[in-house]
Amino acid sequence: MTMLRRAATVGGFALLTLGLVASSAVADELSDYIDRAKDSTYTANRLVVSVWGEETRISSSYVEYSDGTEMVRVDSTWSIVGNGRSVVVNDAPQGVAFVTHAGVIDTGRYSVGDVTNVRHMRRDCHLVEVMEGDTVRAVILFDSRTGAPLITETFTNTGKVFRRSSLQDFKAYRTYAAPRDVDDVPYEIVMPLQSELLPQSVGGYELVDIFPAPGGAEQGFYSDGLFTFSLFALAETSAVTGFESPMPFITASGSYDLVATPQDVRIRWSDTNNQYVIVGDLPPDHAADVLAELPAPDVRSMFSRWWTRIFG
Amino acid sequence: MADVRPVSDRVSMLLSCYLDGELTRDELTEVVAALESDLDAIAEFRRLKDARRIVRTLPMLHMPLELIPGGHLGEQLSAYLDGELVTAEMPIVSTHLGTCQDCRRELAELDRSRTAVRALPGVEPPEFLAPRIEDRKHRRGLRAAVAVAAGAAAVSLAFAVTPLGNGEDPAQVSIVDLESRHTARASTGSAPTAVQVGAP
Repeated sequence: MTMLRRAATVGGFALLTLGLVASSAVADELSDYIDRAKDSTYTANRLVVSVWGEETRISSSYVEYSDGTEMVRVDSTWSIVGNGRSVVVNDAPQGVAFVTHAGVIDTGRYSVGDVTNVRHMRRDCHLVEVMEGDTVRAVILFDSRTGAPLITETFTNTGKVFRRSSLQDFKAYRTYAAPRDVDDVPYEIVMPLQSELLPQSVGGYELVDIFPAPGGAEQGFYSDGLFTFSLFALAETSAVTGFESPMPFITASGSYDLVATPQDVRIRWSDTNNQYVIVGDLPPDHAADVLAELPAPDVRSMFSRWWTRIFG
Repeated sequence: MADVRPVSDRVSMLLSCYLDGELTRDELTEVVAALESDLDAIAEFRRLKDARRIVRTLPMLHMPLELIPGGHLGEQLSAYLDGELVTAEMPIVSTHLGTCQDCRRELAELDRSRTAVRALPGVEPPEFLAPRIEDRKHRRGLRAAVAVAAGAAAVSLAFAVTPLGNGEDPAQVSIVDLESRHTARASTGSAPTAVQVGAP
């Protein structure tokens, strides 16, 4: 079984793949492609489109990638993410840095399908299919020379594209447009903690490590080797701000509040004791599988929370 | 042991290319044949491998910036843009670009020039993945959405941090903060991370 490693969603932007093995120079495992992608250097405009139900989300950003770090400019704001650290460069920049000793997660869920040599934007590329059983879960177009993922498409279990990320105006070098003066940015250093609150595995995803989160919450980081999400367990009375205009996400286990962005999905619900938030790049069917194995939404808790917020 | 006779320049070159993974299929066949039948080629192959192993174990030398002609990168910038710098040169150039504003300015000018040239009418028709991808009927809906939405791509979906509560809640947690924490943790990839305060 081919091992897959997490396609790093640096900057919150999902990367993406396919082919017929044409020569011995073609890598055998997706992990080889992912490793090369992580070592690549490029500058491009990235267009990301995602579809959740009837909703389509789009983002366009200028990206520099080098040394495992992605520098993304949206409008005039830069976000710099990589190697466990994240900082938004604004008037009062502040960063967060994670310390982890966890290794690679391999759930054996994925394998490499066909790999085809193709030309794209006058560049030699490998088109790599990522299979989940008999289903094509993702297709990634890797630039042969640099290893950069030029196009990534991710599919639902019914074969529909739910996210597409493409690099346009691709340059195989850095333009050094990103800000460099972030040495003095204050970083919050986040260390792993021991906890029994969160499940070790859920919906085919494995718990990689746990960290403290704001408001006394806990953050469980989960991966299935390709996709990742974080499960935040907060006090029931905590208020999650910025969760605006959610759409209902109805599964067999209940109704959830969902906000989809081009790069990820955010899901919120409460049971009688806790409030939960999921943030990650997992596909809709995976999200439903994960939610089915977590505490179900409690309707009384939801009404109680809203009553408290409205009437005090 | 018998004396090792020098192998031909071509075989030596092919063996070197083999170690670099740069052989064509025909050349690979030629190398395999040589290694199966020619003791001198085998000896040369071992010698090349040993030499490379030794070179790899040497400490990385950092060229002082003073030794770079003119103190700046000059024509190395073009090679950098072309991706033609040899491995040992790349960290020197990257380090210099990180500290030298003049070279970054020159790089930006070169980059703009190349972008302008790229924008000229192409002499080579673009090659798309469409023939294969468009066969996938289930993707058509998304492609249409991409086309329609491309013009509006500038509309970003930033999520404003707007307090929801009445001020009495014990904890206010921003979803943007949670998302930032997830992406930071997800960016660690396969290697353990250590605390390195400074630029990511």
